Amino acid sequence: MSQPIDLSDALLLRRMMAGDEDAFAQVYRRTHPAIYRFALHMTGNAGVADDVTQEVFMTLIRNPRRFDPARGTLGGFLFGIARNHLRKRWEQDRRLVPFTGDADDLGDTVSGGARAAHSASGNGAFGNGNGHSRTVTGPDELVLGESIGRLRQAISTLPENYREVVVLCELQEMTYEEAASLLGCPVGTVRSRLHRARAILVEKLRDPRPARRASVVGE
Amino acid sequence: MNEERTSMDCAQFGEILQDLDRPGTEGFALRRSALAHAESCGRCALRMIEAESLDFALRTLAAREAERQAHPRVARALVEEVRVQSRSASRHGVRWQLAALGVAAALLLVLGYSLRHRFPPAAGSDAARDSAANHTSSPIAAPVAPVPDSNEDQSADSQSNDSDDETAFVSLPYADDPNALDGGAVVRVLLTRPALASLGLPVTDLGSADRIPADIVLSEDGAPQAIRLVSQASLDE
Repeated sequence: MSQPIDLSDALLLRRMMAGDEDAFAQVYRRTHPAIYRFALHMTGNAGVADDVTQEVFMTLIRNPRRFDPARGTLGGFLFGIARNHLRKRWEQDRRLVPFTGDADDLGDTVSGGARAAHSASGNGAFGNGNGHSRTVTGPDELVLGESIGRLRQAISTLPENYREVVVLCELQEMTYEEAASLLGCPVGTVRSRLHRARAILVEKLRDPRPARRASVVGE
Repeated sequence: MNEERTSMDCAQFGEILQDLDRPGTEGFALRRSALAHAESCGRCALRMIEAESLDFALRTLAAREAERQAHPRVARALVEEVRVQSRSASRHGVRWQLAALGVAAALLLVLGYSLRHRFPPAAGSDAARDSAANHTSSPIAAPVAPVPDSNEDQSADSQSNDSDDETAFVSLPYADDPNALDGGAVVRVLLTRPALASLGLPVTDLGSADRIPADIVLSEDGAPQAIRLVSQASLDE
């Protein structure tokens, strides 16, 4: 099967509006991993990340004309929708506390379909950082897994606006400019938030006590 | 270089620490100076180690999550939604087309109605007669007289009363019952000789190109029922 031609976002959207499923599939393949991982890192829950991803693209399918290529990229547009959905969810259900307790979805081994790559990469080997890993192959990996688990938990305790810059600039490896564009704030703000967030993370990882969820959202 | 090394203090080091491995930033440009400062400052060296550990952990976490994607059911649900939206859009399109056709038909009706009222047919006028004479492709011109009574003979008699130069009406082969001619009309037309012959009239000299005046009896639905010849003399009168 031939590779699909790489078309611009606007053209793909026009074709999608005309009922072209392949065009939508191309848009989805191109943009959904970043949206999904953003939601996953922001919530710490794979199910919620699935739901948010679905809601984001449902919004795009139902209101494609809301996207204006002159105002930014399609990826940025979708990130904005994802942020809005996440905020609504947090407002509606404060019980969704990310990355807490033993239910760490990010560390769970999942099965089937698109999760195969994830499972194959060994993510499932390092669960929630509590030492109950199933396929540990050595002490170094155990230590690393524990470190990663603590890091996930520490990130989850960051205030939302700090967590966003950590996810975007560190986990999604965006530049300050890209993150600023997505978040709609100056580059200096992104930089200062990241500076503060990293300081908090270092502090939490240095502290052997379990991280507590932050109660204050602010600079 | 030495100047740069000595100029960097702990506060500046702390400011750029997060950017040492971030290309395109000021911290990346001052990386060598920062490393030099860390060599001379134990506290900043410790901060750098902690920052590098955090960077390593973050990169490891990012690498582990890099391949994760949404569950396939999400894609299935979205494709189904695309189909639903597509069907909905096509239904809207059909509705718009029907509406446009309706509007176009209404406009045509209004236009036709207004034209009919603006240019009413001039019954019995010279213009209508000229028009009938020039319109050779259609044997029917403006109506000039009401249909005579019930049967063909009576109509022929009544017409013959108008002018002795006119022949009797001859019923056309596919004509309906002459009793059904109530409400029809008689129109005067100019026909070629072959056309007259095709209607069953006794015509000679079929090769001639001249046109012969004739009266045609039309039924109420416009179908020709009978025909008679009219002499040129009666026309001149």
